[in-house]
Amino acid sequence: MEAIYAIWQRDVLKFFRDRARLIGSFAMPFMFLILFGSGMSGAIGSMVGGEAAAGPLRDFDFVEFMFPGIIGMTVFNTAIFSALSVVQDREFGYLREILVSPMSRTSIAIGKVLGGSTVALFQGLMMLVFVPFIGVSITIPIILQLIPVMFLVAFAISSIGLLIATSLKTSQGFQMVIQVLIFPMLFLSGALFPLNGMPAWMDFLVKINPLTYSVDMFKKIILQPEGLAPALREAMGLNLSVFGHVISFSEEMMVVLILSILFVVLATVRFNRSEA
Amino acid sequence: MNNIVEVKGLKKNYKGFLAVTGVDFEVGEGEIFGFLGPNGAGKSTTINMLSTIIKPSEGKASINGFDIVADKNKVRSSIGLIFQESTLDEKLTANENLMLHCKFYGVPKEKREERINEVLEIVDLKDKRGNIVDTFSGGMKRRLEIARGLLHYPRVLFLDEPTVGLDPQTRNHIWEYILRLKEKAGITIFLTTHYMDEAEICDRVAVMDHGKLIALDTPDQLKTNVGGDIIEIETENNQEAKAVLIEKYEVEVKEAGGSLTFQVDKGSEFLVQFVKNFDIPIKTVNLRRPTLNDVFLALTGREIREETASSKEKVKTGMRRGRR
Repeated sequence: MEAIYAIWQRDVLKFFRDRARLIGSFAMPFMFLILFGSGMSGAIGSMVGGEAAAGPLRDFDFVEFMFPGIIGMTVFNTAIFSALSVVQDREFGYLREILVSPMSRTSIAIGKVLGGSTVALFQGLMMLVFVPFIGVSITIPIILQLIPVMFLVAFAISSIGLLIATSLKTSQGFQMVIQVLIFPMLFLSGALFPLNGMPAWMDFLVKINPLTYSVDMFKKIILQPEGLAPALREAMGLNLSVFGHVISFSEEMMVVLILSILFVVLATVRFNRSEA
Repeated sequence: MNNIVEVKGLKKNYKGFLAVTGVDFEVGEGEIFGFLGPNGAGKSTTINMLSTIIKPSEGKASINGFDIVADKNKVRSSIGLIFQESTLDEKLTANENLMLHCKFYGVPKEKREERINEVLEIVDLKDKRGNIVDTFSGGMKRRLEIARGLLHYPRVLFLDEPTVGLDPQTRNHIWEYILRLKEKAGITIFLTTHYMDEAEICDRVAVMDHGKLIALDTPDQLKTNVGGDIIEIETENNQEAKAVLIEKYEVEVKEAGGSLTFQVDKGSEFLVQFVKNFDIPIKTVNLRRPTLNDVFLALTGREIREETASSKEKVKTGMRRGRR
């Protein structure tokens, strides 16, 4: 337990000490929300219905739609990049200090994943500073609901990150692999645009993308689709379904939970085999 | 004296390349034990096997009574490791690095503060405790690593080339700390080095070459085994001089860097007669006691087998060595 705590503590400590990273982490979401989001909102709005739109569709706000996706993106990016520390520790030698200690490899792996998840959770929560500029209303109960979901998503993604990091020797290699992974997962998750009327092959990719269910959970918590008119809900792509079955929040939770367990086990097994 | 390290037939095979070809030795408790050899001799591989970083291909070894394969974690708790390259987290403070180490090794909470003070005292870094390691000099980082390696009170401290890349002054300081360590903590120190002068500090030295242990003794005994004093001469014609030396004085001559080296008993008396009687003009002459350097040269220059080899072969090996 102490070992897990120590590994976790180091990552969290270093996160808060790195001011540049802390401030820089706002740059991407800011650009997506304010520049991309505001710029696109007119276009998307008119495509959805525009001025002539009937009733509820007039309420479609693209920036508002994007916000949960941006939170998802931030959590996702931070969590997967947290595993970069493993590769860097290998490059700078610190991994040896960790691996030659009597701690079990499993504790180290779990400590790393928990560290990455915690950092990602903080980064995700930091995105809430954009709330006043967007016009979504975030209440305390919503935040309390968000925290465990963010953490669970971050845990699953950190495990994927660790799995990749354990197999790679250089940080350049790691960054390459992650970049190649991040963009398709992000684009096919519904984080940046509504997932409506896609070709079948793309729809398939969307449905096997774990990020889809993660982003959808954030949407369900923040946008509260039950209160929206059915037509608007449809336009926002909030009726995520697999084989005609509309996926519920708890089912999504299960999917992410199962993925978390699967990947943390895979990453731990893989990490156990790695040499100092 | 109890043996704290016992090694029997330890081998390491890297995809057909035998890095360590079956070594046997023991290290007594409280000893400073040195591994001497050129780069690539198998020193680090042996240390890595003993410290459970890599698995031996064959053979057995135990540290503090624990088997290095079966009781990995107990071995890890019993040893401190200082690697060739730094393994500090340079973004953290000295104190944070030490605190983390305590947690990694399960040092009880109430003892941590006291131990950190104690080890920082040994390496004179008490006033730097709160500083970020990034700001430390190379020597300070090394000292901090030594301090960190001591935190969990290891029985054996492994130092892999502890002074490599440091300036001579810092090297001397590091050695002061290591000797102080031995006195204060009474722990066993196991080090590798390719600096001959550093090996002199050891209680016993194991000479390693091509993955084999080729000698193991106290530095004094090793030097005595070399036999006699060392005379180094430079002449107008080294080739001729060499032939004369071999023929007339029946000594083994080594040629290196434009000078000839050979060994004789009672060097000072020999030298007077030698200079008087030698026909080839001598440019310089130098007499000295053997150092570990000579031991090493004698051992790795294949001369160790020359007792049985003919003098013809001797010349050949000498020439081959010269060309290389």
